[in-house]
Amino acid sequence: MLNIVFYFQVHQPYRLRHLNVLDIGSNESMFDEKLNKFVMQKVARTCYLPTNKLLLDLIHRFEGRFKIAFSITGTAIEQFKLYAPEVLESFQKLVQTGCVEIIGETYYHSLSLLYDTNEFLEQVSMHRDLMQKEFGYYTETFRNTELIYQDKLSDLIYETEGFKSIITEGVDRILQWRSPLFAYKNYSKNINLLLKYYKLSDDIAFRFSNREWPEYPLTSQKFTNWIDHLTLEEHNNRNLFLNLFMDYETFGEHQWADSGIFDFMSAFPGEVLKRSHLGFCTPKETLQFANYQQESLSFPDPVSWADEERDLSAWVENDMQKNAIETLYGLFDRVKQKGDEHLLKTARMLSTSDHFYYMCTKYFQDGDVHKYFSPYDSPDQAYIYFITALADLEERLG
Amino acid sequence: MKILMFTWEFPPLISGGLGMACYGIVKALLSQGINIDLVLPTKEMVYFPLRQESDVDTLPTVFLDPVQHKEFSTQKFSGVRERLEYIGISHRPESYIQMGEITQFYQNVNKEYWTSELVTHEEKELWEEMTVNLIGDEDLMKKVQEYTVRADSFARKLDYDIIHAHDWLTYPSGMLAKKISQKPLVVHIHATEFDRAGGPGDERVHKIEHAGMMYADRIISVSQYTAQMIMSRYRIDTGRIRIIHNAFTLSDDMNISKLRIFKAPTILFLGRITLQKGPDYYLDVAERVLKVHPDAKFIMAGTGDMSRKLLRRSASLKLRNRFLFTGFLNRSQVESILRAADIYVLPSVSEPFGIAPLEAMAYGVTSIISKQSGVAEVVNHAFKIDFWDVDLMAETINHLIENPAICAKIGHDGMVEVNRIQWDEAAEKIRHLYASLASEYIKSN
Repeated sequence: MLNIVFYFQVHQPYRLRHLNVLDIGSNESMFDEKLNKFVMQKVARTCYLPTNKLLLDLIHRFEGRFKIAFSITGTAIEQFKLYAPEVLESFQKLVQTGCVEIIGETYYHSLSLLYDTNEFLEQVSMHRDLMQKEFGYYTETFRNTELIYQDKLSDLIYETEGFKSIITEGVDRILQWRSPLFAYKNYSKNINLLLKYYKLSDDIAFRFSNREWPEYPLTSQKFTNWIDHLTLEEHNNRNLFLNLFMDYETFGEHQWADSGIFDFMSAFPGEVLKRSHLGFCTPKETLQFANYQQESLSFPDPVSWADEERDLSAWVENDMQKNAIETLYGLFDRVKQKGDEHLLKTARMLSTSDHFYYMCTKYFQDGDVHKYFSPYDSPDQAYIYFITALADLEERLG
Repeated sequence: MKILMFTWEFPPLISGGLGMACYGIVKALLSQGINIDLVLPTKEMVYFPLRQESDVDTLPTVFLDPVQHKEFSTQKFSGVRERLEYIGISHRPESYIQMGEITQFYQNVNKEYWTSELVTHEEKELWEEMTVNLIGDEDLMKKVQEYTVRADSFARKLDYDIIHAHDWLTYPSGMLAKKISQKPLVVHIHATEFDRAGGPGDERVHKIEHAGMMYADRIISVSQYTAQMIMSRYRIDTGRIRIIHNAFTLSDDMNISKLRIFKAPTILFLGRITLQKGPDYYLDVAERVLKVHPDAKFIMAGTGDMSRKLLRRSASLKLRNRFLFTGFLNRSQVESILRAADIYVLPSVSEPFGIAPLEAMAYGVTSIISKQSGVAEVVNHAFKIDFWDVDLMAETINHLIENPAICAKIGHDGMVEVNRIQWDEAAEKIRHLYASLASEYIKSN
């Protein structure tokens, strides 16, 4: 049996205003409320609402056999409430079907794991509380920001009560000859690991509408045939898991509706469920379906799902990124000592990884992706606004 | 007395100190009864007949072509800005001139003015030096060419006693106007190519500068520092050079009271982020000071071709959120940043004058200025340090941070001093220069 594990990342950052040194001390919001509202309402219209509706229909149509998982950041939930409350309601409806797993992560989609363990644990716990509150859901599977993972993370997550699995990238340099279709264990064998099958995930997320791609256009039938082919691998009746992990905004936003992405998704579950040896399951169900001794994998260095390198270079490679993030985390202790909830909230909003992604200067094809996602003219501008925000934050600290 | 004045910048068409200086000079000259017809690189072919002091802000406008002017007079504008936008002053002139046209133009002017037997050999050589070098496909060169072509009409149709041209961009126009009218020409050196380039610079610009200075009846240099440069680098006869320092006059609506942004000491660089202004030395100074006073704030205000390099280097030095960039600032933002600063640094590699430090001092900001500047000649209550001596600059800033009372005292003394350096004084010297040139002209004719 091969189970398709769909996990969609739902995230919106708080984008900064074009801050100037002269704005410091004005005590106004550092964030571009107009832009954030515009983006949220646009993505709600193009992606969240139509895709949620489609998935709800599919879940009903297949009576429990089609299953999916979401990880929704705290900053996305907050902005749903502010700018598009109907989106939150539609997610709640999906969760109520029982066919949707909610995954845990850091509330602010931050890189705190790498810089401040206490802050990381606090953000993880804040996110779990938020999922309880909004969905009545107790998270058991964890994904760290941008699927960043290393051995140390599994220790922290193991020590956090209730988490049993972690989702990360199926990086070739770790897997080597192994297949990402199996469930693995972390290096100390106490946490279940699910690895993204990046080739097929990226066929949907990145290549779907690319006319230069030899496989264009991708139909659900063709895609299912490829999946079918995977089951031919020798697996001695062991259950396989095809982990298709991607940004939720793939649907309707990164791949526009006229690319046929919705038609693809609408036909895909039926195509899969026609075949008796294919099915869907959620990340946490893999624990009970893994009918074999799971091999343990060690990740001594951090990996992620970004760019060709699949490392941290999208966020913390150049000097601007390093100076920005080190300065931010250098302020956290003082912010907490000050005991001002609003300032702490602001610091945490600044910890969202997107701010550092906008400062990325890598070129080649990845640079294009960074540019596509950035609200600013250049990495330098993003850096200027961020550093100015940090000067403002520190000034507010007194 | 009436002056035909050519300049490349005048508020609101402004990118640096040249516009500020021209504004100050023209305003003070008007108050002393001088009439000025101002020609700017506007999109439309207009000039500005300035007759009273307030005209510097309203910029009354006349189209050179009467038919066009008639049409223009019927236009309704909601304000000065809209009228100026109509004639294309908020933008640099858009140049559509072709190389063929400019060559044709030179041939025509050569025929008309420069081939008669009255023209001396020396004169012909200078004209050639200018025309041969005013060649190039760059945007700026094409704009200067177009401006020069137009100067021919202004020079013939307007009536004036003296021609006054500011910096090399308008020297060809000044030369042409002098040739056409035979009226005395004053060229005003605000900066030379050596200052701007921080090195040898563009050979064509040197040649045009040289031709303009040689052809002029008088050369105004904004400082002793620049006069030295003119004499040594351009071999100009000292007798024709007059040093008239720039000045700074606070306008009535300026608010100079302190308005802090940061609690910590705030150090300011304000100007174009370009080699001439020494922004890299400022960064070196910041790095040194922050080792001793990690809370100090360094602001780099302005834009320029070195912005990115400086930004990246400040990040690599891990100066955290202590080294901040503002990007371009408009006038009221410049005022705000000056009100927020404690110490101003001008680390220019070569600064013919440097009005910005006078402005900073007028706001009571303690100033550290490069010895390689003209402004150092006119102020006493400021620190004068070689631009390359970053250790001494850092020590000075540390000393001022550690002794805020001394810092405040020097800032105050500087303010009092600068209040005496008014444009009226500079204008009076220029007026005398005009008068003596005019009487020489009458005698010789």
